[in-house]
Amino acid sequence: MAEPVVHLDNVFKRYGGFTAVNGVSFDVHPGEIYGFLGPNGAGKTTTLRMMLDIIAPTSGTLRILGSASAIPVRRRIGYLPEERGLYKKMKAAEAISYFAQLRGLSRPLARKRAMELLTQFGLEEFARSKCEALSKGMAQKVQLLSTIAHEPELLILDEPFSGLDPINQQTLEGLIRSQRDAGRTIIFSTHVMQHAERLCDRFLIMAHGEKRFEGTMREARAAFAQRIHVRTTASADALRAVGGVASIRVEETGDDETTFEIELIDEADPQGFLERLVASGVRVSRFEQAGATLHDIFVSLAGDEAPEERRPQLTEAAE
Amino acid sequence: MKQIILIAWREYRQYVFSRGFLLFLIMFPLGFIGVSAAMAVAENSKPTRYFVIYDETGLYTDDILEEIEDRWRYALLSAWDAYARGFVTDAGEPLPAPFAPGEIDRQRIEAFIAAGGADAAATVAAARLKPGAPPFAPPRRSFQHIGATDALADVTSLAEAEEELRPYLKQDRLIPTARGQKPLFAAILIPAAFNGEEGGAPAQYWSKNLTDNELASRVSSALDSALKRQRYAALGVGDDEILRVEAIDAPMESFRPDRAPEEAQLDLQDRIETSLPAAMTYMLLVIIFGAGNLLLTNTIEERSNKIVEILLSSVTANQLMMGKLLGIGAVGLTMPAIFVAGGIGLSATIETGAEQSVGAVIMAALFSSNLLAVYLFYFICAYLIFAMIFLAIGAISNSLQDAQSYMGPVMLLVFAPLPFMILVFQNPNGLVATVLTWIPIYTPYAVMMRAAADPPLWEIIGATALMLAFAIILMRTMGRIFRQAILVASPPKMRDVWRLAKKEKA
Repeated sequence: MAEPVVHLDNVFKRYGGFTAVNGVSFDVHPGEIYGFLGPNGAGKTTTLRMMLDIIAPTSGTLRILGSASAIPVRRRIGYLPEERGLYKKMKAAEAISYFAQLRGLSRPLARKRAMELLTQFGLEEFARSKCEALSKGMAQKVQLLSTIAHEPELLILDEPFSGLDPINQQTLEGLIRSQRDAGRTIIFSTHVMQHAERLCDRFLIMAHGEKRFEGTMREARAAFAQRIHVRTTASADALRAVGGVASIRVEETGDDETTFEIELIDEADPQGFLERLVASGVRVSRFEQAGATLHDIFVSLAGDEAPEERRPQLTEAAE
Repeated sequence: MKQIILIAWREYRQYVFSRGFLLFLIMFPLGFIGVSAAMAVAENSKPTRYFVIYDETGLYTDDILEEIEDRWRYALLSAWDAYARGFVTDAGEPLPAPFAPGEIDRQRIEAFIAAGGADAAATVAAARLKPGAPPFAPPRRSFQHIGATDALADVTSLAEAEEELRPYLKQDRLIPTARGQKPLFAAILIPAAFNGEEGGAPAQYWSKNLTDNELASRVSSALDSALKRQRYAALGVGDDEILRVEAIDAPMESFRPDRAPEEAQLDLQDRIETSLPAAMTYMLLVIIFGAGNLLLTNTIEERSNKIVEILLSSVTANQLMMGKLLGIGAVGLTMPAIFVAGGIGLSATIETGAEQSVGAVIMAALFSSNLLAVYLFYFICAYLIFAMIFLAIGAISNSLQDAQSYMGPVMLLVFAPLPFMILVFQNPNGLVATVLTWIPIYTPYAVMMRAAADPPLWEIIGATALMLAFAIILMRTMGRIFRQAILVASPPKMRDVWRLAKKEKA
């Protein structure tokens, strides 16, 4: 297997007595879209900044594009920070060209790329507009174009979807896919699970500075307990009496019927559970087997209410 | 290095190629010219101010009028010299004395008037005028004495004069003059007992205008002279002798002991050489203040706009810092460089001819010695020391309000040497100069001020080494604050700044 584009091994970042990143390890492979998920304050941005050598780790090993520091390979990286801005008085094309030049492009080439990208994304008429005159969405596009203008091998996007309307979110998803199709590796952080679910080849979930999961969606679902939704006139106790139920929760209450979300014990087979239900005379008007969504997994792993005993089990399963 | 230049160039362009800067560049000299012109217009458009004298002694009216006339003659000759410098051609025969522009003293004024005054001067100069030269316009008389006036016709005492003149002085009524009814500006009342002796009565100056003291001071000066002349006369000194004594204007020339006798006399270049350090030092203060503010606002903007993280993913914090220092430093130098170059160019253009132009002398003073190199070196040192402080303050502030709490002490630090500079200028190798030289943040100012006065070499080398060591430590400390604080979302508290200044921890 090719050398990982990014490799972190037991990386810590401490600020005095506070541990922002707690022994995080993961690899990002060439050509993949890698999601970086976690609630606010999980340590995502700190980890990304350490990857870029904007801040130094307290301990641990970090390699990026084959280098122990991002500084020598900065020109091969494109970074869009979570909190981003533009020089208000700079024109859009000038801003893209300036950042591309800072990342190593010659002035004529940077200008050419800036115009090409603005045209490609329908912003050519705003090329000479000052950044302060652009709408928020347009400014965000310009910021993104500044990140890719020098055609980096590795794109690191910190919360790239925040603040974008649905249309621009779709455009950005398309851009990320097209960058991956062009052979680039993309790491992006988000807490909007739909984007991650649609885009990521693999993802990492962080919470409280720790890694809670790393792997594919399939691996995450496999590691998660089976859930089924049952609409019936029977009571929760009647369902529990059928056997194989780990937990049961009322999802929706109707006039006669109630919808339950049932979590089966690990070895239970949903098909066998249905057969036992029918055999026990329970009248069922809906039976739906659902895999865990990324949202469920995220909330379960990163939410404070997540059961403690589940976390090591899932992390170990992924690793 | 390319990144540093790119950042510096962006910073430079942002300010120097902005409309505001260009406008200021145009407006500043225009404003200067405008203010000068407005002052000249205001002076010329001042109405002639009328005054009366009621002199019970009958002794002093002529002295007062003579004094006022003398001042007008001085103004007349000054105006003539300025006219001759501007409009009389350098080709051909120069103007003969006393019409040729030169030093103005009592002898020349008397010679000028005796030779026919402005009319004669204009006649002599007529053939030598440049094409299109306007005719010479003598300055207006500021004050006009009203001799015989009906207002004082029946007055027999000082009290009556005061009573009679009061409505005119309050300008409730206009006073009749040869040019019609005019407002009365002032009245000088000299009582019979006025003699300058102890117990004698004082002269009185009456006027509604309490701010314009010009006439009062002329009257006072005339009365002083008159009383002194009376005393000389009482001592048996003849009138001619008194006039000769009064005309004495002690000639004095200045020499430098460190030069050969034939070159020892101080000339314009010497005076400029000794004044340049002071000019450069004040310029340095202005630039540090201006550039420091730019660095501060600019860093705060990048911090609050969140541009800084994008920058730091492309360049190191040190490169960003160096680029900013370079760019803003160049902005700071641009304005004085333009004004100095413009000033030298202008003076070189205007003052051509036999006399060496001031511009040429300044150029000679700057380039004939190592002064310029010395200035530049200390200029850079001082800029780096203070700019780093401003940069660090910018990095720990999210807004100008945040920065205010740090700016007070810093501004005090920047401008603290200002009151002492005059002492250093007057005595470049004195105690104050020596003390300031050994305080690292003021070494550049002090050495620049002393540069032309041959200070002890060991002192300069020692103080400079100390300053460089201090500058390096300061740059490293402030650099650490900048690097560590620039990405922290909330500005650190005052007590945390010390922690940031300490050695960086991974």
